[in-house]
Amino acid sequence: MGLQFMKLVIVGCGRVGAMAAIALSKAGHQVTVIDSNRRAFDRLGDNFAGEMVLGNGIDEDVLRQAGIESADGFASLTNGDNRNIMAAQIAREIFKVPRVITRIYDPMREDVYRELGLNTLCPTLTGARQIHAMLKG
Amino acid sequence: MYVIVVGGGKVGYYLSKHLLDRGYEVTLIEKDPRRAEVLNSTLGEIVMVGDGDEMAFLATTGMERADVVVAVTGDDEDNLVTCQLAKRKFNVPKTVARVNNPANVRIFKTLGVDVALSATEVLLDLIESELANKETAGRSATQA
Repeated sequence: MGLQFMKLVIVGCGRVGAMAAIALSKAGHQVTVIDSNRRAFDRLGDNFAGEMVLGNGIDEDVLRQAGIESADGFASLTNGDNRNIMAAQIAREIFKVPRVITRIYDPMREDVYRELGLNTLCPTLTGARQIHAMLKG
Repeated sequence: MYVIVVGGGKVGYYLSKHLLDRGYEVTLIEKDPRRAEVLNSTLGEIVMVGDGDEMAFLATTGMERADVVVAVTGDDEDNLVTCQLAKRKFNVPKTVARVNNPANVRIFKTLGVDVALSATEVLLDLIESELANKETAGRSATQA
C-alpha cells in the first residue's frame, strides 16, 4: 500500500469495517466511514479521528459526500453481498477509485465478480479453508 | 419467447400476468415461500421459490435459454446483480431492471444492464413536460 497517507472510504461500520477504519486511521490515513445506522458508529469509539457519514453506501450523493471523488482507496464491507458488489462497482466504474476492495460472503458470487475484475475477499472460503487446515493439524 | 421475472411484488405479479396473457413462457422467481404460494395459486404453477442472485439456484431456472430477464424487486442492488449474473454467466440477450433511485439509471447502464427503468424518473419527466406545456399555453394565452 506504500508509505504515503491515503484518503480512504469504507462502506459498512460493522465489526470488520470499524476495525479496519480504526487501524487505518491510527496509521495516519484519512478515513471516512459510511453506514445507514447511526448506532453502528459507536463501534469506532471516542478517539476515532476519521469522519462518519450517515447514509446508504450505494447512493452516489452519499458517496460524494464521503469524498469518493478524491479517494485513493475504497472498501465495501456491509453485511449484504449485493450492496457491497454494487458499491464497489460504482467506486471503480463511475468514480474511478484506484484501489477498490469488496467483501462477498457467497463463494459463487465472489467467483463471478473476481472474474469480472473486482478485488474480492470471501471470508466464507478463507474461513472454511483455515478451519480445515487447523483440524488436519 | 421465454421471460424470467425476478421479484414477486406487485410489479412482478402484474408483469407476469400480462406476459402470460400474451402467450409468453414465464417463470416468476420469488424469495418468500408464502408469497410464492399466493402467486402460484393465482398465476398457475409458474413460480419458483429462491434467491434471484443465488447462482446455484439460478442455474435451476433454465436461465441459459431465457430471452429476457426482468429484475423488479424493491432493492436496486439485488436487481443489478441479478441482471449482471444473467448477462455474464447465462448469456441472456436482454436484461431489464427496475430502478428505485433515479440516479441509478445511468449507473446500471454503465454496469451493463440493457434497460434500466425508474418509475420515479418517468413520473418526474411527465410532470415536467406537463408543466412546460402549461407554461407555453399560458404564455400564448397572454400574447393573444
